[in-house]
This record gives sequence, structure tokens and C-alpha cells, in this order.
Amino acid sequence: MERREGVPVVRPREDIDAANATSLREQLSGYVDVGVDQLVLDLTGTRYIDSAGLDMLFRLAELLRQRRAALALVITPDSNLARLGEIVGLPNAMAVYASVEDALSTRVQRSLDG
Amino acid sequence: MNEPGGEAGDGRIEAGARTQERRDAGRQLEQMLSITDAALGYLSLEEMLAELLERIRDGLQADTAAILLLDEDRGVLVARAARGLEEEVRQGVQVPLARGFAGRVAAGRRPIVIEDLSRADVVNPILRQRGIRSMLGVPVHVEGRVIGVMHVGTLERRLFDEEDTALLQLAADRAAIAIDRARATEQRSVTEIMQRALLPDELPALPGAHFSAKYLPGGSGVKMGGDWYDVFQLPSGRLGLVIGDVVGRGVLAASVMAEIRASLRAYLMEGHPLPAVMQLLNELLVSMGRHRSATVAMLEIDFESGTVEGVSAGHLPPLIVSPDGEATFLEPAQGLPLGIRRGGDYRTRRYRIEVGSTVLLYTDGLVERRGEPIDEGLDRLRAAARRAARNEDATFADRVYRELVEDGGALEDDVALLAVESLPLGPEIEMTLNAEPGVLAGLRRILGRWLIGEGLAEEQVFSITLAASEAAANAIEHAYGAQESSFRVSGVHDGDEVRVTISDEGHWRATRPYGRGRGLAIMRALVDDAQIERRNDGTSVTLVKRICSEPA
Repeated sequence: MERREGVPVVRPREDIDAANATSLREQLSGYVDVGVDQLVLDLTGTRYIDSAGLDMLFRLAELLRQRRAALALVITPDSNLARLGEIVGLPNAMAVYASVEDALSTRVQRSLDG
Repeated sequence: MNEPGGEAGDGRIEAGARTQERRDAGRQLEQMLSITDAALGYLSLEEMLAELLERIRDGLQADTAAILLLDEDRGVLVARAARGLEEEVRQGVQVPLARGFAGRVAAGRRPIVIEDLSRADVVNPILRQRGIRSMLGVPVHVEGRVIGVMHVGTLERRLFDEEDTALLQLAADRAAIAIDRARATEQRSVTEIMQRALLPDELPALPGAHFSAKYLPGGSGVKMGGDWYDVFQLPSGRLGLVIGDVVGRGVLAASVMAEIRASLRAYLMEGHPLPAVMQLLNELLVSMGRHRSATVAMLEIDFESGTVEGVSAGHLPPLIVSPDGEATFLEPAQGLPLGIRRGGDYRTRRYRIEVGSTVLLYTDGLVERRGEPIDEGLDRLRAAARRAARNEDATFADRVYRELVEDGGALEDDVALLAVESLPLGPEIEMTLNAEPGVLAGLRRILGRWLIGEGLAEEQVFSITLAASEAAANAIEHAYGAQESSFRVSGVHDGDEVRVTISDEGHWRATRPYGRGRGLAIMRALVDDAQIERRNDGTSVTLVKRICSEPA
């Protein structure tokens, strides 16, 4: 995990599946404490996410919403993962960006608006 | 305190009678000693030592007799058997080397006589409490190595002479042989049990890889222990291969090995990269403060991309044998052996591994010969591996070992070998996996390698692989609670379609829907057909993806 502009940015090294989804959710939700309004999950190095992994992302997005924070996913456009995201409706439940920079700049924009 | 005979004693008046008595005693003792070998067969070491001390005490007309054995790892002598001083054993008296009476006998490797204990430096309070006045101690040694001390004591003041010393030394020498043998057997059996328990029961059976391994305990007795190998699937789905050698032999080396092996697995399963694992292990070993070092080599193999990543802590370089029989040492950036000092610098190197290649990990016992430079051993190994690669009648590990033994003669040290061959995958694959989520990443890598090899487009590879992974996750869920259950995956690429079947034998409740809603939806969206067949004895899911050879 690294923090960029105070925002935790996490880039999983491995696939997200039934073997690690729960521990990853615990780890990720632990980064969102007071004062953190966004968590960036960079999935550009991730090849596969199975249904257990996707369930975890939906639950994590909901958990963050309750804490008044947003989950931002970074997924390479037109990739297999982007296609999978469309199948299960990821973009309807959380913000999906093409790069970490995009995710962070949107946040700046939002705070300027606010 | 004096060397025997170093000071004129009194009591010469009775010398004649004493000499005769002692001669008789000596004869008896010798007689007794001559039967010790035969007695060893059925007397335990404890019984044998007790018997021996009894005879010595009588033979030397002493009041006490005791034997202390050296614990080399802690540098102390520990009371093992006693006559007239039984509390010494019960209380587990320990005398540091070079200190006190017994400690000085052991450190100086020669007999010591104390005529008057009240004026001597004695560590063990029991000797004084018991009222011992005079003592004679001799070293117990095997092949020039001190393994303990045998001593006798008297309540009355007496100056033990050269003859007494010779007799006690004779007894000590006989005891030494018995102790050494008993210890070797004892250690060997304990070490053997530990060693066996610590090596993998079976090697993974996976499509596209063939594992073989061999472990041979060292030539004689306590020389075994401390070498190990391990193979397991990492969280990334890649394979982790480990080989190591703990410096030292016997039970202690085997126990250090057990600690390293378990910690190493834990660190790797937590997902730490190889250099971090080495660093953590090094810290662990240094902090254990047991002055134990170990050499370890770790490889992370990805057959899908054909890469090997390696890290070494002072271990001999892994050997890679190419399909055409060329043998090359992989020279990972060499780090210090583990346990020497904090902060070792461990780096990985990456290599290519072609289909048809074999990677071999081994311990130094395979290549080292006494009085020979290590390079000669490595050259011999390379030649042996080349010859072994051309032969197919046994596993690679067996072949290499056979070639080397035929070439180099008997082995003095433990030998461990671990080999993995990268095999080509055909249009059909089949595997049985343990029903636990940890296998999913590995399954996806194998399917990925297979489908890429079959010439499928990246998008098709992704779809089939993820759909199969979903079906496998369901099979694992069905097996929940069952012990050691497994499921089967088979795949066929037949012209314009790929068909993958995942079968489990899980007990299945008809009321429960198949899989999670999302899982089934993903499967159906990714492949052209997903058939679920529920039987009494399990469930089979068959996934079909049609392959258009023309670009869409």
C-alpha cells in the first residue's frame, strides 16, 4: 500500500479469488480510517477476479459508502477484466478509472466542487 | 589437585595388600568390561552404565562413581549415571566445560586427582554435601573427542595413583564405545523419524510438470539430519521449490531445519516475495541465537510464462538441463547463509525455462568429496545430469543420483535432490486437485498455459479459464467440511471447441442452488454452454467454448 495525496492506493500482486478475498477485504477496509474519503484499488496488474472476489468488491464499496468514502477501481480499458466488470455491473456500483492518476484527479475535482 | 602420581601419598604401609586386592579388582573389572559388548545387545545404556559404575566402585574400593556426558551444543557436562551419588543424576547436575572438577577433566582431556576436596574448586555442591574427600576423574573419549567424564570418589582421604587411573580410564574407554553406539542409534532413530516427517509425503502431480526427489541419510550414524526439500503452490499459483541444509547433524540440526521449513512456508504463503522471505528467515535464525546457520535455495517457477526466479542464501547453484541435454548452473545473486548475521542482502534473478527442461536442486552431499575442490564435484554433477537427461528409465532425481554414485563412490553426508521437469501439454489435460481454495490460482495458470499452447486468443483463454475456476470454486464449496476431498478437472481441445469438465464428489443438498448467483452468471456469460449435472455422488459441470479460427 502507498498513500498518494493522503489516499491509500493498493495494487494487489495476485488474482483475487475465493482463497484471498476475505483477507484482502479486511486488509483494505483497515486502510479506510478517519479522514480518508477514497480508496484506490489498482487492478491493472491483476489478471483474474472470480465471483468471490467480485462479491468482495461490491461489499467493500458498500462498507466504504457507509464510512462516507468511495472505492475507486483502476481497470485497463478494453481489457478482459473490464469486460468481466461489465458482465457483473461493477461500474454501476463503484467508480472505475483508466489510471490511478484519473482516480486521484477526480477526487481533487470533487473536493474543489464541494 | 595433582596429576596422578604427581605427589607422594601416604598409606604405603598397606601397599602390598592393597595391590593384591586391586589386582583382583582389576581382573574382575576387565572381565566385566569384556562382557560389556555382548551385554549391549540387551542392556539399555542406562542399565549398562549403572552396572559398569557399580563394578568400578567396587573394583577401586571407592564410595561413589559417576559419569557425566557432554552436551556439545550447550557446552556443559550433564550427570547421566551414578552410584553412591544418585542425587547427582536425579537433580540433573550440570557442570560447565573448563569449570569445576569434571569440567576441567573434560577441557584438559586428561585425568585429574584431588586428594582433598575441601581445598579444591568444585562446582557441584552435591560432592561436598555427600562428604566426599578425594576424587579421581578421567575423560571419556571417542576418536579423540571428549564426550564426557567418569569419576570416582572416597569419603576418606586417599591419593589415587597411576594404577587407579589406568583402571578407571579402561572403564571409561569401554563406556565410551557403548555410549557412542547407543547415542548413534538413539539419535539416528529420532533424526530419521523427524527427517521423514519433515519431507513432503508426496510430490505434486500436475499436468506439464514432473517432480522427482530423493533423500539419502549420510554414511554413518549421527551424521544424518538437516537436509530438506519442499515443494508447494504459492498464492500466486506459481510453484515454490525449496532446498536447504542446516549446518550440523543429528536431532538438533533436524529440529532447526523443522523451524526453518515451517517459517519459510508461512512467509511464502503470506505472499512475501522471495528476497523478503530470505531476510525474514535470516532474522529469525539470528534471533534464535542458537548459533545455527543454514544454506537455502528457493525457486519460484512459472511454467505458464516459462520463467524461474531464484534466490540463494549460500547454497550451491541449481542446475538447469535444457531439452538438448545442455546443463548450466543458475547462479542466483549469492547471499550469506542464514543465521550468520543480521541484514543479509538477498536478491532474485530470473531465468527462462523451456518446455523439456529440468531444474535440479541438491545439497552439498551430492557433490562434495573429501579432499577435492568443490568445482570438480560440480563438473561431475553437470556431466551426470547430461547423461541422466538422455536416459528415461527412472525419475530424473534417481538417474542423477545413480550416475554420480557410479562415478564417485560412497557418500559421507546427507544428500537431498529435488528435480522438476517441464513437460509439453497436449490437446487433452487432466488433473486431480485438493478441494481447497488455495489450488484455484494454480489451476488457472495450468489452464492458461494449456490454452495458450493450443493457440487460443487471449480473450478466449481468459473466458475459459475464469469459467473453469468458478466451477472449481463451487466444487470446493461442495466439499466443505469433508476431509481430504478432491475434485477432477479435464479438458479437451478438439478442432473448433474447447470442453472443460469439473467433477466433484461432494455431498449435495438438492434444495441448495448451484453456486452463488454471480458465479453461475459469470460462467454462462463467458462460455457458450455450461451444463450442470447433479448426481447422487457429486456434481459435474461441463463448459464448452466454441473457437472461431477466423478472426471475428
